[in-house]
Amino acid sequence: MLITQLKSRETIEALACGKVFIINCHGCKEVSFPEKEAKALQEELAAAGKVTGILTTDYICNPENMKLRLSYHEKEIAEADAVIVFSCGVGVQTVSEYLETKKVYAGCDTYPLPGFQGVTPLEVDCDQCGQCYLNITGGICPLTACSKSLVNGQCGGSKNGKCEVDPDMECGWERIYQRLKQLGRLDLLKCPVQLRNYATDAEVSE
Amino acid sequence: MENYTKYRLKGNDELAALLEGKDKLFVLACNKCFKEFTSVEEPDCDEFVKFAAEQGKTVTGFAKVDFLCNKTQTEKKLRDLIPEGTETVVVISCGLGIQTVAELTGRYVVAAANSLNYRGHHGMALTKKACDACAQCYLNVTGGVCPIVDCAKSLVNGQCGGAKNGKCEVDPNRDCAWEKIYRRLEKQGRLEEFLKQPVQTRDYSKINFKVINDYVKSVRESRFDGYYGGVHPSERKEYSEHLPLVRFPDPETVVIPLSQHSGAPANPAVQPGDKVKVGQVIGEQAGFISAPVHSSVSGTVVAIEERVHPATRGGLSVVIKSDGKNEIHESVKPNKPLEELSPEEIVDIVKNAGIVGMGGAGFPTYVKLKPGKPIDAVLLNGCECEPMLTADHKLLLAYADEVIYGLKAVMKAVDAPKGIIVIEDNKPDAVELLKSKVEGAADLEVVVARTKYPQGAEKMLIKRVMGRMVPSGGLPADVGAVVCNVSTVKAISDAIQTGMPLIERVVTVTGERIKNPGNFIIKVGTSVQEVVDYCGGITAEDVTVKMGGPMMGIPLPELSVTVIKGTNGIIAYDTDHTEAVSCIKCGRCADVCPMELSPLYFAKFADEENWQGMKDKNVMDCIECRSCEYICSSKIPLVTKIKAGKAAVRGLK
Repeated sequence: MLITQLKSRETIEALACGKVFIINCHGCKEVSFPEKEAKALQEELAAAGKVTGILTTDYICNPENMKLRLSYHEKEIAEADAVIVFSCGVGVQTVSEYLETKKVYAGCDTYPLPGFQGVTPLEVDCDQCGQCYLNITGGICPLTACSKSLVNGQCGGSKNGKCEVDPDMECGWERIYQRLKQLGRLDLLKCPVQLRNYATDAEVSE
Repeated sequence: MENYTKYRLKGNDELAALLEGKDKLFVLACNKCFKEFTSVEEPDCDEFVKFAAEQGKTVTGFAKVDFLCNKTQTEKKLRDLIPEGTETVVVISCGLGIQTVAELTGRYVVAAANSLNYRGHHGMALTKKACDACAQCYLNVTGGVCPIVDCAKSLVNGQCGGAKNGKCEVDPNRDCAWEKIYRRLEKQGRLEEFLKQPVQTRDYSKINFKVINDYVKSVRESRFDGYYGGVHPSERKEYSEHLPLVRFPDPETVVIPLSQHSGAPANPAVQPGDKVKVGQVIGEQAGFISAPVHSSVSGTVVAIEERVHPATRGGLSVVIKSDGKNEIHESVKPNKPLEELSPEEIVDIVKNAGIVGMGGAGFPTYVKLKPGKPIDAVLLNGCECEPMLTADHKLLLAYADEVIYGLKAVMKAVDAPKGIIVIEDNKPDAVELLKSKVEGAADLEVVVARTKYPQGAEKMLIKRVMGRMVPSGGLPADVGAVVCNVSTVKAISDAIQTGMPLIERVVTVTGERIKNPGNFIIKVGTSVQEVVDYCGGITAEDVTVKMGGPMMGIPLPELSVTVIKGTNGIIAYDTDHTEAVSCIKCGRCADVCPMELSPLYFAKFADEENWQGMKDKNVMDCIECRSCEYICSSKIPLVTKIKAGKAAVRGLK
């Protein structure tokens, strides 16, 4: 349930040095999976005679299912030197747990989608910091809206409202300022200095 | 299953400070997601309301909302929700919900909760942390054990040296991840390879909100194109889309069910022993919502008896042994040209030709042609959004002129000034052909829709093309539209131009387990077994055979059933033995439901037999498109539960 991107062509070709069995996970496809790119690359590998079989399935991470589905392909898997899984890291680990003695490789890199609590949003709006700052920022998250995740105001490097790290990005703190002004709550800028608690999730949950 | 609470109320001191000087509070609480769906009620809202009362605050109202971060749905829910006299809106939710409300209301909102950090839990893997999404997967060098999650220090180049007896020095209850990795690699005979690995560096700049944001936007921004929700199942049309449309050999015997439409089954109009000809009525219309049935061959009626029905409607079938001559019945003769026909005459021709919705629904078409309301446009559904099927595609290519003729007939019957043919962009040849055919006609138009399932559903099509919403429980005519399938208007064209009633149709026979797929014109009453055999048979044992497409098709009880008017496909594919697990409230069903319902509640309420609850959640609006079931990560058979709910709700009245 994340963003997955294909690893570089060189990396994947290096992984497929012998014969491979390929597993694709389309479970979270609606969120993001490089379906076309993966297919094109796999067709090339197949044309080169390197593929013993392809299993395209969904929700590899649903363990009971995966066991059954893999069992249909025992022979093809046995013939392969390695299994390449195109999925998020969870899927790769699920498969590698079942095929402990087999080389199981990841064909994708997994990017975080921290907004993915609830329904996939179009924007990453919340970093789950565990100490919501939205009360003092007019409802704009300084962690995700500011490229430096500053919690005590602008860095001073923005030009014409644009971020100095990325000129295509609006300065998060200018947005916060404008929002507060609109709300008539510029007084919030006078609140005491905020400290960010970097404690781990386990500690926060306690 | 663990309870991964997504947020937690801020502490009392902090809340008290936040509320200082504020009063007349409206409390908006999210029902939380990604937790086992055992209870609809989350305690946080009530706790806060109680706390506010203790602080002497007035609460003007409160609401508990599902998936507050779903902007489209939250916007609707917020309408008229916040009572007058409210001074402060308090939101209890993770950061997403709070920001959604802040943006939608433009108000200063008080965040009363903190999101909890639960990274590493995704997919179905809610019970175990497995992947931290570092954007540079190391699993290739670690034998499939994640060093970021499993090692307390997230080391990527080997053990720290602090482990004792295989246990972590940070947490003695935990296994040393690097020892696990070593053991795994040892099993795979990869120790040598591993020790020679270059040093791995972790690039923390890969996780950049802007990059992720842009990426998500690029893949997701068009998902509401035309209408909310929808899914993109693998099309799998490649088995049959390149194959020509050919006529299927005449069957020796046909079994024609008298119920091939919604409504009352036709009454038999022949008896065993009777000689019949092609196009002769063998079943008479038996009510307002009903349709006549005609013989598709010439020959002798051998029986009128109960046969297994493909859509399990049951009822009688007329069995006819063909004489192979295909003599045409004398009632089959061309009608006046369209210009001379009155709307009433067109409706009568359609009615007498036994034409029903050929997209699968089987609703008698003549009823649609008497909408009793002003119609602005007739929409032709040539989307064929169902995966695998290519019947409508082939029909558009082979019978473009007939389709346009039929469209004009429908426009005349309902007095519509405009006719719109909607085709998905995965059929560029059909788009091009139809566009060239309507060129210069001011009242006809071809609309190309981006491929998305269930585009072809009546209500989605109207929203996509006309931007109008059919009201709950309403019909297309309520918003000035009539929707027909392209195959249906082709049949209308035949009925007018040649006088031939609906006795054959285009069927796609496909799927990875059909030996030789194809697109055929098949006579109604032909046995599915015969069709499958002609296509080389089914190539495996554990196969599901469906009539229709993989999404909305009906699994066939046995292959002896026959092709009926609504049969657009016969597909055979590997059976999926997926077992359902419990709902984790991921919200993806609500994300894809084109009718903007919350299917997760249907599953819960059906198990509890809470039919009133299902009714309140508008189960009757469900179009059974199966998008929710397709996307469900717990693989819950939602449509089966919804159907049970609908049946029970009908009984409630």
